[in-house]
Formats: sequence, C-alpha cells, structure tokens
Amino acid sequence: MSFDAQPIVFSEALIAWLVTAGGLLLLILGVSFLSALSQGNSGLKMFSSEAGGVLSDLISLSPRRIWALSKLTFIEAYRRKALAVFVVFALLFMFAGWFMGGGDGDITNDQVKVYVSFVLRAISWLTLPMALVLSSFGIPEDIRVRSLHTVVTKPARRLEIVIGRVLGFALIGTLVLSVMSVVGWIWIVREIPAKAQEMLVCRVPVKGDLTFIDRNGVPAEKGINTGDIVDFRSYIEGATKARAIWTFSGVGENSLDAEGNLNLENQFFAFRSYKGDMNHQLLYDFQFRNPEKKISFTTNPMEMGEFRGVRNKISRKLERPGDEKTYDLIKDFVTSKGTLTVEVSCIDREQYLGMARPDLFIRLPDRSFAAGYFKAVLGIELMMILVILISVCSSTFLKGPIAALLTFVLLILGGEDSHKFMDQLVTGRSKENIEVLDQQVKQLEAAYVEAMKMPDGDQKEAVVQAAKKQLQINRNKLQTIKDGFKGGGFFESIYRIYTHMNDTTELPEGNPAMTIMVKVDDRLTGFLWLCKQIIPRLATFNNMSEYVANGFDVPWDSALLPCVLITLGYLLPCILLGYFALRVRELESK
Amino acid sequence: MSQSGQSSESVIEIRNLGKVYRDFWGRPKVKAVNALSLDVRKGEVFGLLGPNGSGKTTTLKLLLGLLFPSEGEIKILGKSAADVAKNERIGYLPEESYLYRFLNAYETLDFYGRLFDMPASVRKERSEKLLDQVKLAPQARHRQLKEYSKGMTRRIGVAQALINDPDLVMLDEPTSGLDPLGNRDMKDLILDLKKQGKTVLMCSHLLADVQDVCDRIAILYGGELKVMGRVDELLKAQDETQILSSKLTPEAIKEVEAVLKKHGANVLKVDQPTANLEDLFLKTVQESRDRPGHRTVKEGAKS
Ligand SMILES: Nc1ncnc2c1ncn2[C@@H]1O[C@H](COP(=O)(O)OP(=O)(O)OP(=O)(O)O)[C@@H](O)[C@H]1O
Ligand SMILES: [Mg+2]
Repeated sequence: MSFDAQPIVFSEALIAWLVTAGGLLLLILGVSFLSALSQGNSGLKMFSSEAGGVLSDLISLSPRRIWALSKLTFIEAYRRKALAVFVVFALLFMFAGWFMGGGDGDITNDQVKVYVSFVLRAISWLTLPMALVLSSFGIPEDIRVRSLHTVVTKPARRLEIVIGRVLGFALIGTLVLSVMSVVGWIWIVREIPAKAQEMLVCRVPVKGDLTFIDRNGVPAEKGINTGDIVDFRSYIEGATKARAIWTFSGVGENSLDAEGNLNLENQFFAFRSYKGDMNHQLLYDFQFRNPEKKISFTTNPMEMGEFRGVRNKISRKLERPGDEKTYDLIKDFVTSKGTLTVEVSCIDREQYLGMARPDLFIRLPDRSFAAGYFKAVLGIELMMILVILISVCSSTFLKGPIAALLTFVLLILGGEDSHKFMDQLVTGRSKENIEVLDQQVKQLEAAYVEAMKMPDGDQKEAVVQAAKKQLQINRNKLQTIKDGFKGGGFFESIYRIYTHMNDTTELPEGNPAMTIMVKVDDRLTGFLWLCKQIIPRLATFNNMSEYVANGFDVPWDSALLPCVLITLGYLLPCILLGYFALRVRELESK
Repeated sequence: MSQSGQSSESVIEIRNLGKVYRDFWGRPKVKAVNALSLDVRKGEVFGLLGPNGSGKTTTLKLLLGLLFPSEGEIKILGKSAADVAKNERIGYLPEESYLYRFLNAYETLDFYGRLFDMPASVRKERSEKLLDQVKLAPQARHRQLKEYSKGMTRRIGVAQALINDPDLVMLDEPTSGLDPLGNRDMKDLILDLKKQGKTVLMCSHLLADVQDVCDRIAILYGGELKVMGRVDELLKAQDETQILSSKLTPEAIKEVEAVLKKHGANVLKVDQPTANLEDLFLKTVQESRDRPGHRTVKEGAKS
C-alpha cells in the first residue's frame, strides 16, 4: 500500500462540519428572510408562517408514513426490474474465473489481491450506479407523472417523503449489496486453491511513529531521497549511523502471539548503488532501546524480503550467543508508558533501505478474512448511502437526468486528486502568507532539531512529538500555498492567459484595476472553500477495499470511522435541503 | 337552504384568487385564474363548471396547496392551503388518476391508508368496503394498476380519495372515462356522500352530470367567475311554462293553441317529450341485461 491514512480527529471533523452545515443553513435562512423582507409586510407574514410550518412538520413526523413511502420505493424498484443488476453480476462471475484462474494452486500474494479487489470493485461498480440512477429518478418521475399529487394531498409531510425515499433506496441497495457480497465472498474462497488459503487473512497491524537519524547521527525528520519523484518512502544508508526509528505505543503482553513472540512484519524497499551479493538480499537489524532504563539490544542481521515482506518472530527472551546477559522484551524494553522503540539500520555498505510509516508494524494475531471483507462491504454500503443522499437531495429540485449527472460529477470531484487541487486553490491566496509561513517553518525545523538533542526521557518524547507535528502541519500548508498561488485566482488567471503572461511574472504594479481583480479573486476563494467543503472526500471509502486486498484488517479510526462520519455528515443537510426544496416548489414539472 | 340540509358555515373561502403560470425564467405564460371569490358551504355539493381550460383544475390545485396562488387568499377547513394538517379531512380525486401504476388495488389503498397513519386492521376493513362501494371487479383487485382500463382506474381513484372518510371531497371530473352505469353509480355515490353530511366540491364541464347532483354551481370562463347560484334556480327558465299531456291529435292541438292565444301566450314549440339520451341508453342496457337477446329499441326510434 502506498498510502498512509491518519486517524481522524473527531473534534476537528465535528467543527469543520458545524461550520459548513451551519454556514449553509444560515445562508439559506438569510436569503429567504431577506427576500421575504423585500416583499414588505406580507412577505414577513409568509416567512413566519413558513417557519411555523417547518416546525410543525418536524414534530409531526410519523414512522408509519415514512415506512409506507420506503416500502413504496422498494416495491417500485423491484417491480421495475431494478434487480436485473444481478444478471450482470452473475454473468461477470460466471466468466471471470477464466481470466483470473490460478489453476493448479501456484498462486502468489498478488494474485489473491487481484481476486479480492476484483470482487469488491465489481460489487461497488454495480451497486453504486444502480443506487445513483434509481435514487435520482425516483422523485422527478413521481412529479412528472403526478403520482406525487396524490401523496402530498394526504397528510404526508414533504420531509417524510424525502426520508422515506432515502430509506427505501437504501433498503434496495442494501439487499443487492448483501446478496452480492455473500456471493462474492463464497466465490473468492472457492476460487483460491487450498494451498493459498492461508493468504486469505486479515492482518491486524499496530503502527508506530517514524523518525530518522541521518548518516552522521543527527536527528532528521526524513531519510534521504534516492531520486524518486514520489517521496512517500525515504531511505537510510547502510553501514552508517543512519537509523529509522519506530515508536509503537500501547505495547504489552497482549501484543505477543501464543508462543510469546513479538511478530514484527516489514516490507522495506531496496535501493542498490551496486549489484552487491548475489546470494542474499540486503541485511538489516533491529535495535530495541529503552530510554528510561538506558539499555539497548541489537538483534542478529536479517535478510529483507523484497516485494514480499518478511515476518520476523522476535522471541520475548532476548539473548545473544557469547553474551550471558539476557533481556525480557516486554519487561525491559517497554517503557512505563507502554511504548516500544525499534531502530532499524541497514547493514550493507552503500546500499539503501527504504521505508515509510506503514512499512514496519507489530502484527497482532490475525483476524479471519471475512471480518475485513465485510468491513470493506460496509464501506461500500456507506458510500452507497452517501450517493443516495446526494442524488435524492438534488432530485428534489432537478430533473432526473440532471440530478444523476450532478451526483456523478460530485463523485468524480470527490477523488483525492481534485481535493488536493482544491486545497491548493483555497489556501494559496496572498503573498504575505508565504513569507510568514516560510519563516515559521524555518523556526520549527530548528526547534525540532533542538528537541531531538535533549536528554532522553519522558519530556523529550513529548516535546519531539509536538515539534514534529507542528512542523508537518506548517510544511504541508506552505507547500499547498506555494502550489496554489501560481497564476493567481479566477480573474487573474484569465487575465494571464489572455495576455500570455507567465505565472511567475509579477502583475503590473500601481494599476487599480489589478488590485480590484485580486481582491475579487480573494472573495471568490471563499466560495471555492465552501465548494471544497461540500464535495465529499471519497478516497476514504476506496481505501477500505485496499486494506482488505492487501491482507490487512480495516482499521477503525483511520478508515471505518471517517466513512461513517462523512456519511452521517451528509445525512442531515441532504435531507433538510431536499425537504426545503420540495416545500418551496410547486409540484408541476416545468 | 334548510331544505337541502346545508348550513351557512363555509368550508372553503376563496377571496380574490389569482394564478399566473410562469415559465422556467419566471415570465408569465397563462393567467389561469383571475380574481375568483367564492364560498363552499358545509354539507352542499358544489359544482365548478366551465369549458376546457377555464381554470377548474387549477382552482382545485390551489385549494390543495399543490400550486401557490399568485394573489388572493384561501381558507379551507379553517386552515391555509399550505397547511398539510388540513389534508387529514380532505379526499381528492385528481383529473386523471395519478396513482402508482405498479401497485395493485389493495396495495394502493393500503399505501394511502398508511399515509393517514391508519392502523392495519382499519386499513384492511376500509379498503374492502371502498372497493365494493366503487364496484371494482373483484378479479381485478390483485392486478397492477397499469393493466387497468380507464374506468377501473377511475374507480380505484375514487376509492383512494375516500380512504380517510373525509369531510370534504374534491373531485376533478369524477365521471370522465366511466360508462353510463358507472356514471350513475358515481352520481349515487356523490349523493350518498351528501346524505352523510359531507361537503363535495366537483369540477366538470358536463352539465348533465352536474345538474343531477349539485346544489350550487359556479361557471368559470377564462379563469373568471361568470355565474354562480343554486342549480334549480339557475335552470328554471323564467318566462316559459311547459305543459305536458298525453298524446294529442292535430285538431286537439289547434284547439289548445287557440285557448292559449286567448290568454296572450305564444306557442313556441309543440313536441313530444323525449327522454334524454342518457335515460334511453340506461333503459336499453338495463333491459338488455334483464332479458338477454331482446331488442327494446324500435326501428323508428333511431331516426
Ligand atoms: N402546468 C401548467 N403550466 C402552464 N399552464 C397551465 C398549466 N396547467 C394548466 N395551465 C393552463 O391554465 C389554464 C387552465 O387550465 P386548467 O387545467 O385549470 O383548466 P380546466 O378548467 O381544468 O380544463 P379541463 O376542463 O380541460 O380540465 C389553461 O389555459 C391551461 O393551458
Ligand atoms: Mg381540468
């Protein structure tokens, strides 16, 4: 896996949500209040009676009516043959085996990965479009053939209509998804030969924090770059003082396996500056260090497993031949705060060992493959509900095809790349920012190096971690601003294109028109910020299948929880927006 | 008024109502209702008449809150048209039966019953009763509505409108698409509703329908109210007298004419009274049903 999802910080997420959702609500209220005000007294009266109507709708919600509408939605989809999607699914699986077959049981890790991601992808690519089409055509069709007239002239609230629709589509989707996922699971288990079955696991990793020491023994935030554009991994040089240092927290007796071994699994990368020894791969060793007791223990050299990874079973009793002093891994090396420090060094001279934070982890006892697989399915389910929410909401004020298109575009824009791009545009505003941040980053770098030089102990750790975090945040900010600043905002970039002006050239000084243009661009950025907040971040959902395909369990706080929160975050705004839209419009198709 | 059992209490009050249909860009397209004011009183059957496109359906939709008025005010059952709570006591039959085509008759009534928050037992009981009342053929009740004929759809539409035992029933062209038998059933049903003390507001441009059941009517033309009043009063021709007798010979007619002249009356038309077409058709159908194969209509009657 070449991504490293960070645990979500609940309070930050909540604040971001409150700001966006609250802002939108205020915006809607404000605009409608102002338009009511502009119509004088009668407008205000209407506004207050509308507000009263909304309140009474909210309190008179009836589960029976909502259920009636959900059931209707369900029957509608069923009788309109939406379940034909199963036929496509069946066809896909009948023939997929031909193209992916491992046949005689000689199957590698990568092949298992292909099977698993094929199934999960097939499921999501069938269920998501189905959910999208069904839910964006539901209400518009209801309005077009005017069957909605018979519903809204009953005591059914518009709010109940929106909720009932969402629930109904979610039910249909869940039914389809459950059938498909169970079939898919059986298919995987049966297609993969008996010999390779042990690869179908869910590893449960405990990941640590990673820092580096450079070749001269000076603490560094990163290793060296061997010339790769993607600097996800960085490298340590062999036979120097360079180290990669992982700090795992929450380590204790229960981190050990049944035989009392600590399973350290790694998938390091190698960068060779010469061919080296043909008969063995690069060598590395682990050094356990307890800063509290000031003791350390170095393991024997071990061979790295290029492209496959290695699991090192470290016996709890640490001993070296010729040295009668033995240590207990847990008692001696786990600090009073439950952290374990593991330093990795590369042994081969002038060879380089590459790594990123997720590349070394403590492997806890495995979970069954089904556990992770169905968590990934839950991820698809959450994404499907998100799709349904967005398309039902947009279908309350748009016609079916346009609502479907809008949802589709939002999904495309929800990708990680476009989010990064929007981040850049939103943060890259004024020149002052860059200089201030540049200065800050330099100071923070100095502070970090200072902190690393502190005497070992509790305090050091805390200071180092804090400094590192601050540095990381500021660096990222600086980078996005630098990238986003290029060429200016909306009008400025149009101006630059029109006048063939390079994006590094300064705008002409002292021209008031230019000043106004830049100011207007600044305002527009605020709007862009809102757009960015509104567009869902979907990478989180896709990551889930990635974990399972790579044989990992789906972590709660950096994968499942963010998805749950994103979907929950859209729940209320989408339903309310859909409700308002249905309330203020006449139910005649235009 | 007391003779037809209605009180002076207003169920619907429309004041100066206007509706302009606008296009997507908000430009006015059609002025469908213009300065309409009328009251519908409790317990009466009120007919809204007018040629096609005169704004009858639009008025009903405005009353139900499906459309928003451009001007004027509506009070319906003491509430505003936008208040959903009023729907508890209203039954509405749309112009065409816009029902869910993939449901069968039972499912349809069950669905609408749920929207009134009715418990399952009540829903079941009322559906059964209503389906009998609107005379929907039992073998059709388990078929999806998309397979229904127009008249069958109309019947289930009426059943749907009555599911909540409403106090106010709004029927938009209740008899359209019904065969003459169905037509008669529908009229009976409306009269029955009236007998139960319900208020009925119906739209139609078929005068014959209206004449039979309505207490009061209003005639719209181009969205404006042209005539309003009690049916019997409106239809009573003020300066004519019709005398009906058994068949007379031409000589006898001459004598009668002479007598009339003496009293200063002009004879406008001397004629044998005919039953109207509907009566004839009904009689024929009734008789054919009672005595299959028997021809009741004589050759001469065709001309
Ligand atoms: N959705 C609409 N958009 C624009 N104009 C409309 C719409 N519905 C009705 N109209 C116009 O409003 C006017 C009144 O229509 P309405 O349906 O109320 O007539 P009606 O009296 O019910 O006629 P009919 O007897 O044919 O049912 C007509 O001119 C019609 O073209
Ligand atoms: Mg009409």
